Amino acid sequence: MMDSITQKAGIIAAAAFGVVLVSSAGYSSVSAQGLPEGFKKGDLSPEPSAEMIEAGKRVYFTKCVWCHGVDGAGDGPGADRLWPRPRNFNQGTFKIRHTASGELPLFDAKKPIAGQNDLFETVTHGLPGSAMPPWEGILSEEQRLQVLSFVTTQLVKDRKFTDKQSETQTILQLADLKPKPATDESKKRGGELIVEKKCVECHGMEGRGDGNAFNLKDDWGFSIQPANWHKCWNFRGSRQDPYNVANIFRTFSTGVNGTPMPSFADNTTVDERWDIANFVSSLCERDTLGNPLPIDPLTDKPKINFVIPSDLVEGEIPADIEHEAWQKAPKRIVAMGGQITHKPRNFVNRIDDIWVRSLYNDKYIVYLLEWDDRTKSVAEGKLPWAPTQVNIDVKEQDPKTGEEGSIAAKQNNYTVYNDAIAIETAVKWKELPAPIKPRYLFGTNDQFPVDIVKWEADGSLRAFKGTGWDKDFEERDNYEEAMKLVKSEWKNGRWYVMIQRPVGNKKDQDYDEDTFFEVGQYIPTVFFAWDGHNGDAGRKMAVSAFYYTFMNPPVPQETYIYPVVIAVGVVLLEGWVLTRRANRKKGKTL
Amino acid sequence: MKALMSLGALIGVAGLLLLGGMVLDVVPSTYIRLVEGYMPIQMLLEVACYVIGFTGLSYTLNAMGMAIPRFWQGIGFWVFFLLYLKYRMYPPIPFSVRAMYGTVSLVAVFMWVSASEEDWQKFKQPIMNVLDAQTGGNRLLRYLYLVLLPILIGGFSFNAMMPKSEEPIELRTVHPAPPASTKVHGKTYTLQTSQNPYRVNPEGKFDQEFTNANIVEQGMGRLMKPNANPWDDKNQGYLKYVREGGEIFFQNCHFCHGDNLNGRGLHAFAFNPIPANFTDPGTIAQLQETFIFWRVSKGGIGLPNEGFPWASVMPPWEQHLTVDEIWKVVLFEYWHTGYYPRTWD
Repeated sequence: MMDSITQKAGIIAAAAFGVVLVSSAGYSSVSAQGLPEGFKKGDLSPEPSAEMIEAGKRVYFTKCVWCHGVDGAGDGPGADRLWPRPRNFNQGTFKIRHTASGELPLFDAKKPIAGQNDLFETVTHGLPGSAMPPWEGILSEEQRLQVLSFVTTQLVKDRKFTDKQSETQTILQLADLKPKPATDESKKRGGELIVEKKCVECHGMEGRGDGNAFNLKDDWGFSIQPANWHKCWNFRGSRQDPYNVANIFRTFSTGVNGTPMPSFADNTTVDERWDIANFVSSLCERDTLGNPLPIDPLTDKPKINFVIPSDLVEGEIPADIEHEAWQKAPKRIVAMGGQITHKPRNFVNRIDDIWVRSLYNDKYIVYLLEWDDRTKSVAEGKLPWAPTQVNIDVKEQDPKTGEEGSIAAKQNNYTVYNDAIAIETAVKWKELPAPIKPRYLFGTNDQFPVDIVKWEADGSLRAFKGTGWDKDFEERDNYEEAMKLVKSEWKNGRWYVMIQRPVGNKKDQDYDEDTFFEVGQYIPTVFFAWDGHNGDAGRKMAVSAFYYTFMNPPVPQETYIYPVVIAVGVVLLEGWVLTRRANRKKGKTL
Repeated sequence: MKALMSLGALIGVAGLLLLGGMVLDVVPSTYIRLVEGYMPIQMLLEVACYVIGFTGLSYTLNAMGMAIPRFWQGIGFWVFFLLYLKYRMYPPIPFSVRAMYGTVSLVAVFMWVSASEEDWQKFKQPIMNVLDAQTGGNRLLRYLYLVLLPILIGGFSFNAMMPKSEEPIELRTVHPAPPASTKVHGKTYTLQTSQNPYRVNPEGKFDQEFTNANIVEQGMGRLMKPNANPWDDKNQGYLKYVREGGEIFFQNCHFCHGDNLNGRGLHAFAFNPIPANFTDPGTIAQLQETFIFWRVSKGGIGLPNEGFPWASVMPPWEQHLTVDEIWKVVLFEYWHTGYYPRTWD
């Protein structure tokens, strides 16, 4: 709250100043002193006290060492199973800053002020989309400053925060720059600029991070991916405020040190940068009314609703996503985590959410699944296992620190398998007293199996029966003929897959193998997703929690009748109370 | 007395303002976190503070000649409690649970206002006034109620009858009863008698006291004791094993249980039930080390039905780790949270 107040005050005070700055700079983005527009020279901060550094060491060796390592080289025990990897502090290369490209970030052990202390904000808010959590509420403000004092003086080895000879601070004056309102015009110009400035080359035509996604490396040679603009809650620099355009403006102005993301301060005006920020921010997922998605403060991700409602349509279910029925159908985000329960575990799942919609008619239910995947992966040649095979020997990484072939190092060198998605529903779910369900990972046993419908990028759509996490799938007779792949398309970093299946009935289907979808009932549903370029196959995949498919029933007549009856009853009751009271006052008791 | 009551009034007003801020979404409901995993201990304390505050407020207003009638006090407190449940509680509790608490608090309010005959008369006087409709204002109110009540109740029942798709409520037992013994990697461990083989002093002898003295300090940050750094190469015994356990934890467990063992890891957002928060005083602090050993070894799939084995993604760690590694991780979890494991005596 404080931040926004100071920020607002700053904005008001500097609004006029900003106008002057823009007009004097004219169309050139470099001001008179040779600084990029919106930047000012700043002073280096004083060295933190020896006590702060010593106290910070204690914090570091309790909390940070496990990922960042004893020497701060980003090689702690946790490092090799993480991607993105923990920061290597030694070079003094930090991503999220207010300072010009290549410069050290802002850090002052005496000034824990938002907008003036980059490292403090990083520790406070964490780096969403990575394993770095927000430390606010866990470490006190003092402790956060202490640990940073230790890191900046002892673990940054190649540079020195106080060395006036070699270091400069050119600071983006974000608090003084008034954000441009996100008008349609501004967003339109931003949309043109991202093509002109070649943003789309890496971030992709729709900004899903699918551009030059597979050839990018960071300064340490680890593979790195461009941000997906549609998931602003995963922006490293989002500071737990993902829909705030100022964060995008900052990243765009300063660049991301150590990565291929350059600073655009020298070749864009402040005005242009706001347009781009407005456009990029507008791409982030929103609800049907265009409002930002509610963010869960415990996870810093969009809030989850575990019920996937399916609406009734008369006649044929449309195959066109633009059709009114699909546009009106409620859209739900299904959060995906790596499958890390059984081997082979997937510590680095690349699919972290799926958007699901559903419609049904008297015969079929259709799921529309959309998820971002930077690469379309179709396996070359025949896969060395049968589609029903579950126990596939995909190697799980050895986690030895520094060892070659760790997950991060090998990220792009997996054998490419098929992208795939599966919907798992409980068979005989009515026979299990709620809340009991067959186990989420391919069912419990023969008695309580699951119905798995799996689509693969080679165009196949198969139906299996799952009877346990380590049991091979069983084929289901005739069911595949009853299903239909209505749509499967990969476009600009996103899969669109529409799967139609029968709602089921005792006449045509097998009750022991197939899920019967009943209107108005909660049908346990789990989603699995495989990214072929991540080497995902078998149990190496992304999984969701239990969701419920709920087919919205048509409104029954009683809904209109009973409330009227109740209202009439209340009127009668009122009459009775009033008469009774009046009689009592007159001395007559009933 | 007076000063005390004024202080109470101040607390009451400040508390109300804070709640108002939360209702209007100016202050996030996670703003004040005094206790880690702040339900329910902090909540109970807070409500107690509010009650003290309101007592002071009522007394002070009374002294200033602006007493609030008993009728409005009763209603006001009930409304306050409903708002508190809805806007202060985090993570939010489902409506049906709120409805239960709301009903109980309504009964409590009734008991309070009808504690003596005199109080009860005072409480019901405004209701009787409206029923009798002696004044113009009351008559107007009476007619308003006559018309509005049927409409409102009819409307509510219509709303209640409309088909809805709310998440079904499923109550899960977080710490189910453990078995008497558990078999891991071919060896049977009796939970009552087993000990963590790595809870040892530098001489290699089991030493609860020594290890308890070397865990992190309670308090903000939970930092290690200045002279007990597990990363010191000279360590023998307990702290050496803590470090080894930490290495295993940060290669396997932090993905869900989080870098600070608070259940907020990288993948945690996707899973339900959510990963356990070890810093919460209600989890490992309440349990024996052998219970943790059993839970870690057998994982979600090894839970009894009340623990939702079908939904838990907790791996049966015997599939991934050796017995020694499991004991070391357990050791690390107690070290890092600063809790002592419960003992059988």
